[in-house]
Amino acid sequence: MKNNIVGMETNMEQLLDKIMSVQSRSDRVNTSLLEKREHIEKLHRTRNLLRKVQFIYDLPSRLGKCIKSEAYADAVKFFTGATPIFKAYGDSSFHDCKRASEEAMSIVTKKLQEKLFSDSEPTNERAEAVLLLKQLDFPVDSLKAKLLGNLEHFLVDLQLESREAVTTTLNSENQLIELAQELFTRHFETIQQHIKKKVSLSDLLAMLRTIWIDVTEMDKVLPEAALPDFSLKAAQNAVKQYVSSIFSHLLNSVSEALSVVHITPKGRMEEECSLQAVLEAGKKAVIQGSMDALLNFRQMLDDNLELLVKLRDLIIDWVQEGFQEFFRSLENHFLLLSGRNNLTSQDQGSMDGTQGDKMLMGLVLVLAQLSIFVEQNAIPRITEEIAASFSGGGVRGYEHGPPFVPGEICRMFRAAGEKFLQLYINMKTQKISVLLKKRFTTPNWIKHKEPREVHMFVDLFLQELEAIGTEVKQILPQGLIRKHRRSDSNGSTTSSRSNPLREDKMTRSNTQRARSQLLETHLAKLFKQKMEIFTKVEFTQESVLSTIVKLCLKSLQEFIRMQTFNRSGFQQIQLDIQFLRAPLKEIGEDEAAIDFLLDEVIVATAERSIDPVPLEPAILERLIQVKLAKSREQNPSS
Amino acid sequence: MQGGSTGVGYGLKYQARCIVDVKADTDHTSFIAGTLSLKEENEVHLIRLSSAGTELICEGLFSHPNEIWDLSSCPYNPRIFSTVFSSGESYGAAVWQIPELYGQSNSPQLEQLASLDAHTCKIKCILWWPSGRTDKLISIDERNIFLWRLDSAKKTAKVQSQETVGMLHSFSGGAWDPHDQNAVAATCDSSIQFWDIRMMKKTNSIEHAHARNVDYNTKKQNIIVSAEDESGIRIWDLRMPKIPIRELPGHAHWTWAVRVNPEYDELILSAGTDSAVNLWFASATSSEDSKSESLLESPTRKVDPLLNSYNDYEDSVYGLAWSSREPWIFASLSYDGRVVVESVKSYLPRR
Repeated sequence: MKNNIVGMETNMEQLLDKIMSVQSRSDRVNTSLLEKREHIEKLHRTRNLLRKVQFIYDLPSRLGKCIKSEAYADAVKFFTGATPIFKAYGDSSFHDCKRASEEAMSIVTKKLQEKLFSDSEPTNERAEAVLLLKQLDFPVDSLKAKLLGNLEHFLVDLQLESREAVTTTLNSENQLIELAQELFTRHFETIQQHIKKKVSLSDLLAMLRTIWIDVTEMDKVLPEAALPDFSLKAAQNAVKQYVSSIFSHLLNSVSEALSVVHITPKGRMEEECSLQAVLEAGKKAVIQGSMDALLNFRQMLDDNLELLVKLRDLIIDWVQEGFQEFFRSLENHFLLLSGRNNLTSQDQGSMDGTQGDKMLMGLVLVLAQLSIFVEQNAIPRITEEIAASFSGGGVRGYEHGPPFVPGEICRMFRAAGEKFLQLYINMKTQKISVLLKKRFTTPNWIKHKEPREVHMFVDLFLQELEAIGTEVKQILPQGLIRKHRRSDSNGSTTSSRSNPLREDKMTRSNTQRARSQLLETHLAKLFKQKMEIFTKVEFTQESVLSTIVKLCLKSLQEFIRMQTFNRSGFQQIQLDIQFLRAPLKEIGEDEAAIDFLLDEVIVATAERSIDPVPLEPAILERLIQVKLAKSREQNPSS
Repeated sequence: MQGGSTGVGYGLKYQARCIVDVKADTDHTSFIAGTLSLKEENEVHLIRLSSAGTELICEGLFSHPNEIWDLSSCPYNPRIFSTVFSSGESYGAAVWQIPELYGQSNSPQLEQLASLDAHTCKIKCILWWPSGRTDKLISIDERNIFLWRLDSAKKTAKVQSQETVGMLHSFSGGAWDPHDQNAVAATCDSSIQFWDIRMMKKTNSIEHAHARNVDYNTKKQNIIVSAEDESGIRIWDLRMPKIPIRELPGHAHWTWAVRVNPEYDELILSAGTDSAVNLWFASATSSEDSKSESLLESPTRKVDPLLNSYNDYEDSVYGLAWSSREPWIFASLSYDGRVVVESVKSYLPRR
């Protein structure tokens, strides 16, 4: 190893010597060539300069060529390249060139400006034009202001059909963002105005679609404006407004259907037709309108426009809330129509005359039946529909529960329906009550003459009941159970049920009679249900009619209790009541209760009579037959 | 049989319409009832509720000529009362006194203190001023209001002033304002008229109210409650007579009588021809009810004002009276002569 290293040293020295010699030789070559190199470099630089000078001299013509071929980018490139020389030598050596070039460039800038402001140019070229102008140090800001001004003018005349998306890449983004947002705000305002005037769903979808396309395009160029979110919010408002407008139109259509009643009818036939027609119209408006609205909403949900997909949950909520609110307002509207909220309406009605009053009562009955229809038919159908298409999703949390609560609405309408039915019954009973009061407070019963005939108040009474019957038959359904009429089986007008009380009354003496009557009625009442008279009213023809008859008979009894009768007075009452027995049982369904009440009336009269001796049955029959004959003469059709 | 009855019962022998509370009796809770029988001998019963509240005892039974249509107890003397009666054709009105030591006599007779004999029309009612001692009396008949001065010593009553209501209207009843000795309410066919009896002039009226019976609120001024046949019960503030401050449904048929509790004025009793007595809770302050209800959005709607319905009666209930001494006790009278006394202690509002 020592040998190797010793040998290496000599080798290294040899190497060093060689390198030194090579270096010295190359230095010699270098220095000999140095002169030549410098010369060449000088020539090279000169050549470049000359080329440049050539270029400058050629510049005007070249620019002209570019203008002709509309290659403005090249023109600008050339010009900007030459600008430093112009700056340095433009005043002295290259003066002409500079002038010519500047002329050319002014043409170029003009052309570029035109390009920028013309609407027919494609957008990227316009963008390029701006870039080029910028490179030319053109005062771009003033351009920009002018451009914005133009755009704003344009917005004012904005037509929805034309697509107008201007993309610029100007630097002041804020102004651009504002501009873009204002553009879309105007779009949505137009939509809202259309909604107010009632726009169809397809039109609305088309409008939303066009807007959304524009938004996405602009978003590509200007992501900082956050246009999708902005337009989403605006679209949210528009869709919400659309949904609520559908509901208000629905409410309007129902109230229009019901307001037909206020048109004064001319003949009686017209009245009858109109009530039923109003009910049908009302039903149709509610159910058909709701179904149409739901169809609309479902179409909206099924649409795959991105905007609507994002709003899906919200739409579901709005639809449900909308229905809840609609039914609440509908109930309020019914209450308003019936005049319940207006305390003085009853009196105004009576001032206007019986016609207006009658119409109001008819309307109340229609409202009652309509409320029940809503509760029994409309709500279940709507609930089904909503469960099918509008369930799931929704923005409200679980703790609030679903916004559409069919149970609550059903309860509300059932209660309203019952209220209206009760109101109808009250109004009709009040009307008859006036008639009865007049009958019993006018004559002097204590000095009454012998009964010659059945009193005419029975005619008025029965007429009123008949009128109620026709109204009720139009609107309410028939009851399911038809009670067997006693008169159907044996054809007699008197009660076939043996009534020992009545027979006894005729045999005992006066003083005993009063006491025993009292005892008997007590006993009789113990075995009869007191609640017979004031049972709950059902929504059937029979129930309403029999309730009215029962209430009128009760009123009759109360009026009688306030009077004192002599024998003839007692007999007159007996005659009138006996005449009423058959027709009242025909009208009202609850025969037993009506019989009971008529008996009560007779008992009350007997109690209030000084000398309650009844008419002979034969005379009673004869007078009744006379009355029947007379009424048959007057009404040959009945 | 009907369901379990909670009240204490008492039977008058005949039919009756009138029962009143003996306000002046501060030692006992007692009532006076009068019968209405056309042919029999009529009676006035003095009934006392036992201290345990479980029994009604007849303290005195007095015969009275003619059937009694209106009965009113003197507020400052427990033995004096007035009746309006009729004998079929004619009507009469008188002030009576229960004789002293009536408990000891076999068949005590009522002493007639005064006869109000200036009436020519059907007499409707006699009113005593409920809030104190005065010698004035008001009587109302179909056409007129009379103001009398009663002299118990001389046993006379003299007409002080009188006014007619005119041919178009007829009175049916009335009530004396407990807060104002000069104001009286009179129910007319289709209105409630308010008269100043010093001037004998009509001062105010509530129109379109077909009231059968009215009762003033003794705790609050200007509040009156009316019972109407079809509309039920309405509470009015006389300062705003156009619209009632509260309406209650009333009864299934007519609401015959209404009585405001003398101590707990939110409790209102009503008697109806549907053989029931209803107890209502209704505050007389106008603002609270409607506004607060509309603000709340709770699914359960309004609180039902009907506290209880007593329907243990066989016939229409015409007579109704709260006891002044024990204001949670009331007496009711149905046409068949049955008196029922009930307690509403469980419904009293917490104070």
